[in-house]
Amino acid sequence: MTYSLLITAFVISTCGLVYELIAGTVASYLLGDSVTQFSTVIGVYLFSMGIGSFLSRYVDKDIILKFIQVEMLVGLVGGCSAALLFMSFEHVENFRILLYALVTAIGVLVGLEIPLLMRILQDKLEFKELVSQVFTFDYVGALLASLLFPLLLVPYLGLIRSSFLFGIFNALVAVWTVHLFRNDVKGTFGLRSAAITVAIALSAGFVFSDQLMTWAESSTYQEPIIFSKSTPYQRIVITCKGKEVRLFLNGNLQFNSRDEYRYHEALVHPAMSSLKNPENILVLGGGDGMAVRELLKYPSVKTIQLVDLDPEMTKLFRAKGLLSQLNNDALSDPRVTVINQDAFVWLRKSKDKFDCAIIDFPDPSNFSLGKLYSDTFYKTVKRALKPGGVCVIQSTSPYFAKNSYWCVVNTLESVGFHTTPYHAYVPSFGDWGYVVASIDKFEHPAAYPANLRYVTDESFRQMLNFPPDMVATEKCVNKLNNQKLVHLFESEWGEYVETF
Amino acid sequence: MPKRFTRAVFLSMMGGCAVAAVSGKFLLDALNARVKFPIRMLGPSMNRGHMIRDGKMPKAATDAERTKTRVTIIGGGMAGLSAGWWLKRNGFADFKILELENEVGGNSSFGKNGISAYPWGAHYVPLANPESEYVRMFFQELGVIQGVDANGLAIYNDLYMCHDPEERLLKDGSFQEGLVPRRGLQPSDKQEMRRFFEVMKRYRELVGRDGKPGFAIPLDLSSQDEELIALDRISMAEWMKQNKFLGKPIRWYVDYCCRDDYGSLPEHVSAWAGIHYFAGRKGVAANAEMNSVVTWPAGNGFLADKLREMLNGKIETGSAVFNVSSTETGATVSLFDVKENAAKIIECDYVIFAAPRFLARHLVSPTRRDETVSSPGISAHAERSQNEPLQEQFESAQYAPWMVANISLKRVPEGKGVGLAWDNVSFSSRSLGYVVATHQNITTQRDAPTVITYYYPMAQDEPSESRRILLERTAEDWSQLILADLEKMHNGITAEITAMDLWPWGHGMIRPSVGYIWGETRKVMKNSMGNVYFAHSDMSGISNFEEAQYQGIEAAKQVLARVMS
Ligand SMILES: Cc1cc2nc3c(=O)[nH]c(=O)nc-3n(C[C@H](O)[C@H](O)[C@H](O)COP(=O)(O)OP(=O)(O)OC[C@H]3O[C@@H](n4cnc5c(N)ncnc54)[C@H](O)[C@@H]3O)c2cc1C
Repeated sequence: MTYSLLITAFVISTCGLVYELIAGTVASYLLGDSVTQFSTVIGVYLFSMGIGSFLSRYVDKDIILKFIQVEMLVGLVGGCSAALLFMSFEHVENFRILLYALVTAIGVLVGLEIPLLMRILQDKLEFKELVSQVFTFDYVGALLASLLFPLLLVPYLGLIRSSFLFGIFNALVAVWTVHLFRNDVKGTFGLRSAAITVAIALSAGFVFSDQLMTWAESSTYQEPIIFSKSTPYQRIVITCKGKEVRLFLNGNLQFNSRDEYRYHEALVHPAMSSLKNPENILVLGGGDGMAVRELLKYPSVKTIQLVDLDPEMTKLFRAKGLLSQLNNDALSDPRVTVINQDAFVWLRKSKDKFDCAIIDFPDPSNFSLGKLYSDTFYKTVKRALKPGGVCVIQSTSPYFAKNSYWCVVNTLESVGFHTTPYHAYVPSFGDWGYVVASIDKFEHPAAYPANLRYVTDESFRQMLNFPPDMVATEKCVNKLNNQKLVHLFESEWGEYVETF
Repeated sequence: MPKRFTRAVFLSMMGGCAVAAVSGKFLLDALNARVKFPIRMLGPSMNRGHMIRDGKMPKAATDAERTKTRVTIIGGGMAGLSAGWWLKRNGFADFKILELENEVGGNSSFGKNGISAYPWGAHYVPLANPESEYVRMFFQELGVIQGVDANGLAIYNDLYMCHDPEERLLKDGSFQEGLVPRRGLQPSDKQEMRRFFEVMKRYRELVGRDGKPGFAIPLDLSSQDEELIALDRISMAEWMKQNKFLGKPIRWYVDYCCRDDYGSLPEHVSAWAGIHYFAGRKGVAANAEMNSVVTWPAGNGFLADKLREMLNGKIETGSAVFNVSSTETGATVSLFDVKENAAKIIECDYVIFAAPRFLARHLVSPTRRDETVSSPGISAHAERSQNEPLQEQFESAQYAPWMVANISLKRVPEGKGVGLAWDNVSFSSRSLGYVVATHQNITTQRDAPTVITYYYPMAQDEPSESRRILLERTAEDWSQLILADLEKMHNGITAEITAMDLWPWGHGMIRPSVGYIWGETRKVMKNSMGNVYFAHSDMSGISNFEEAQYQGIEAAKQVLARVMS
């Protein structure tokens, strides 16, 4: 019996240390700066253990029972800790509070373990022996944990599985202790079943940890996820609820099938309908094929070249199914050529000339995207247009980021384009901005394709009107060597995110 | 339970856990830091250089191949290539460029792997000053400058101008924009910074009594105003003291700039050179702010490579020149052809010596001259013996040793604070941080692999001592030092590295020591010896593209004048 209990000391100290290392590692993964994270986690943890040890003096009766209960709790809290931290990171307002609360809870419980165990062993060993034996096992356990953690656990199991595994060990200690003291404690059956339940629950967590993480991600999205994949370029997530399909790239909404027609009609038709007989069209970005669907409404169109970096995207929206229904199988049309290359690099090399270019890049939220909104890029676009050609650029929201929006307009003008700024209301996005940039002065479309749901002569005229709250307060040209737009965009959208 | 016991339990547990946790963390780091990538020690071919210095090159056989060419340029660095460019541009084609290494470029050479091209030394050129005529000419020819606007300002190729964000500095745990320290400054520090830049602005705009700019690029065009020349007689550190620039931030900044441009500390460079860094550059462009620079993935290797293309057929690489003698009627150059493993002789009218100047002592020497090669008549001997004391002095001219590493990474290193820039520097490091080779790419790929070029000037010790250490350390030692430094900038970066190549520069850059630029030594070093003309950035006392080009072209002009006459 004594020996069994000493092995218990060994197991629980291993578990205790593993939880601490897990908390420290998760914190440095998620918050960065590992030195700070590790020292504060260790500090808080040790201090909480002190509290636990101190509290142990108030346990007077039923020490064995309390010990078993503590084991179950440690198993449960510690075992779930990594999963809990990872899953809640996106959701909780103040992640640090949760982190330290969890570390404190585990610390207090672990702090109770050894003192209680020693008191159980009190009558079985001489004091001198007791101290020496318990601590020997305790320290050996700690050493084992510190070796296992980096060498085996992190590389082979990962943090979430490791934490479940050690939770299971704690629960098994509880089961075993019940067994050892089956004659001394009351309600053995209830205790044993509780401990076994905890062990089973944790094992389930261990087995299903992948599914758990996917589920955690889907809870960031309000709707059920029907597809998700990380490509070398981005994370693609598609959700579907009822008839609404939404596409997210890196967590940012790209379209909602309910109102994307507004976005894409406004993007394509004013520019296209202003041309007599547009034949050769270029689409940059827009791998979802929605803009192409709109372009195919023009019978004069002979070729459409779609340049999108990510082959996964274009593959996904070409394959027959729910998604290709959204774009009317546009990407399978014989007039369409898909090119999976970097737009800027490809355009510089291309010798083709176009009547119209549709430019639908993600917002300029980082320096590499900012290059696709630079004067140098627009010069390259201009060279690729035929005489009298036009292009249109999605250019973020003139309401949320008015200076960014007008910076795109200015930049286009700086390379000699005539510009026609306009904006449309897309419920999923809010008020959204576009600019038509044309080599000659823009001619208002005389007619639009039949059956458009949003763009008409009248609605387009309204789109040209900018109320005072969308007027720029700053004028600038975005260049490769100043990246003005990215700086503006960051400060404008940053402000918006903060106030909400 | 006795009280003492509880405390003992508590304390020992605490101790135990702390020890275990710390060792766990230590092990975790050790695991991550395990070097799992190849490390290669590259660098200029030391043994070719040393064999030349020690006179150990095999002698030319009596039946050695002898060729004739009117002008021989020794050294295919920026100076030698520019000399060739000038000759060709002026319709003179009878010349050869001999380069010791297998590739031209010298300090402006570059490498390339599956990810990107990257520099081994020089990596940028500031916008050309109004007086930097040769630079503008060359840039126009290459399309670096694409035209001039209505105000006469040069329009630079946007793709070559360094894209924003250009620089960032890691200070107090996070990156700030720009290299001038900004975070955590006392009001007095800020005031001092402002005053410093005002003083520099005055120097920049200053025109001497001779009507020349106070600080020009190339520096030979600078004013000879005694007041300014006097600055060459004190050290930059002394000047800082005299002018009461005493705060840590401004001293760090000046220290960084001296290490960046000269590989030396402010204590070791003259105040004239130190100020030149700030006051010399006044280039403007129609489409960029002042202080912009042009750069390429290969660094100035881009320029070297363009020159190589232009001079196709004129360059002989793997040609180690080991003797040059000026004769009454011309000059004889002996070289060892590494590819054919044979010594050869070239007879010519003139030599442009564009290898490092200190080598002249070993190469242009009658005592080491191959007897089968020697021609009767006056050799360089007369001039040399007259120059001997200065030659000695020049020998003591100091060259800063550098270590450069090109490091391939799985993805770009971001870090806290502002995002990745082209030039990334740490306030607390003795290195200069790193530049990012893929910065000028116009791709939008996220998390793409990249190459960073890490610069470490060995400025602290005596150059000769540093050089010994530089070469003594193994690839393993160097990689450990560099990793330790980079880990401080980016925790966990080691795990992202896929390869590290090292390049030690024993004689990286000439040091503009006190009195060197406007003293006697440099004046005499520039003199030709008979039919041998000298062209190397060493002749300027500061090492950069503009100076190398200027020295090369000036020598070419002198030779052209004589050839034409
Ligand atoms: C680490 C580092 C970073 C730098 N960064 C910059 C920068 O960013 N911008 C900048 O403008 N400058 C920079 N420089 C300065 C650089 O030295 C100059 O820009 C320029 O490349 C010097 O050219 P050079 O022709 O004068 O000399 P070198 O480059 O030294 O050329 C001399 C050539 O002679 C050859 N040679 C030597 N001996 C013989 C022989 N016996 N026979 C035949 N050939 C021989 C050499 O191999 C070499 O190619 C840097 C230098 C270093 C070391």
